[in-house]
Amino acid sequence: MASVAIVGVGDSEWGRSVDRPLDELVLDACRLAIADAGLQGHDIDGFVPCTPHPAADELAASLGTKRSFTVKPGLEAGAGTVGAALLAEMMIEEGLAKNVLVYFGYKGSKPGGPYSYHAEDPVKAAFEMPFGWYGQPVYFAMWAQRYCHDYNVDPATFADIALSARAWAQLTPGAQKAKPLTREGYFEAPMVATPMRTLDCCLISDGGAAFVISSVEQARDLAKAPVLVGGVGVGSTEMTMGSIFSQNRPDPLRFGALESSAKAYAKAGISANDVDFAQIYDCFSISMVLQLEEMGFAERGEGAAFCSLDRIGPGGSFPINTNGGHLCYSYLPGMNHVVEAVRQVRGERGDAQVERKSVCAIGGLGGNDHATLVLTEDR
Amino acid sequence: MSVPNFPPPRDIELTNPFWEATDAGELRLPACSVCGAFQWYPVPGFACHPEAARQWREVAHTGTVFTFSKVERAFLPFGSEPPYTLILVALDDVDNARLVTVLVGDDQDSVEIGSRVELSPTEFETHTLPTFRLSA
Repeated sequence: MASVAIVGVGDSEWGRSVDRPLDELVLDACRLAIADAGLQGHDIDGFVPCTPHPAADELAASLGTKRSFTVKPGLEAGAGTVGAALLAEMMIEEGLAKNVLVYFGYKGSKPGGPYSYHAEDPVKAAFEMPFGWYGQPVYFAMWAQRYCHDYNVDPATFADIALSARAWAQLTPGAQKAKPLTREGYFEAPMVATPMRTLDCCLISDGGAAFVISSVEQARDLAKAPVLVGGVGVGSTEMTMGSIFSQNRPDPLRFGALESSAKAYAKAGISANDVDFAQIYDCFSISMVLQLEEMGFAERGEGAAFCSLDRIGPGGSFPINTNGGHLCYSYLPGMNHVVEAVRQVRGERGDAQVERKSVCAIGGLGGNDHATLVLTEDR
Repeated sequence: MSVPNFPPPRDIELTNPFWEATDAGELRLPACSVCGAFQWYPVPGFACHPEAARQWREVAHTGTVFTFSKVERAFLPFGSEPPYTLILVALDDVDNARLVTVLVGDDQDSVEIGSRVELSPTEFETHTLPTFRLSA
């Protein structure tokens, strides 16, 4: 039985480049999430910062509350934001806090962009950058090449992932990339690193996003229908962040999603077959494919073919990334997926509303770590 | 096709011996001084033998392409003029280590996973890059 629920979600103004301080964007997102729950700033007593800025003490001061407990995930990117629900659950079950605010903010437009994160790693700076092995698209292109080789997959199969993301984005106000896209248009997009094209790669975004978690008991008295945290699982590989993209072994195409999803499904008392729709960290088309295989939605090597537009796109039998995801909506790692999942389970998504919305699985990748979060309707 | 010219950092004790070796025409990877097991990439300390020191052992100049990509956009802050072909090489005599490198030679477009490659260094003013070419 779920003990906690997501009771409020919010995202700030976002875009390729937003000329406002990150702290302000995150504060906007937090205020929206708290208001969405029908709570006040002073009701928040637990903090899970998934980002260095703003610090929880400063955010608490801005919200006019006192912190009872603060804890950081210690996992990067999507693993941190999607796995954060586990920390909130632990805090509430332990009586350390009643209403926990999970928040994240990112300035992808900063100098050096998302790539500079890896330049700070000494082994990557010494053994990869001098060869031009740099930039996440390059890492994932090498994986995509190997995947296509090992499983006899035509790289053209990835087109449907980009087309589906675009179709969902067209139904989603504010999505960063929402112009119509044809199949021909996908193949006309420039190659970044073979076999991956620009449209296989995520957006660059500035913005903030947040959600609030409370006990199920309290959630039922709040503004909106609670979205239950059925189960959260985290899986870590034996690789370091510096080595996972080139040295992962024996199978280079694995994240920790097999482990994280097994744990999350067990806690929720479900199997992959019970999942109605999914939100899966799509920093690149290939990374989404690899995760969805590990999460049990397709057999190994069949994930790319599984992602046909008519299955994962609007009106499909297994919708994935129903706001356009990181490819077309926004790139606030993992957070966009959690926020979207909550809105879908509540039935708030208008033209983009999925039909079967009882159980959503969210996959969050953070390089060598992975988190799976199962959200369900309150039944 | 080009080869990126992006000088490696020279002030990192953990990684310097690699570049000292390539400047001398050698290819060396770090290993445990007790059992000889390679540790790639290096991290502080050895789990197999905590008392061990880091020893840079010479490795084969030949290997097999594990995966590759033709990079057509520049991501480095400077020093690269795409396109260039990156390869990940499984060296012949090293288990559990793959070398990130650049493929050189006029025939590089024929590279495939499983292609045999051999060391063919590219010399820059500041460093020698241990690039590889397809074996005949």
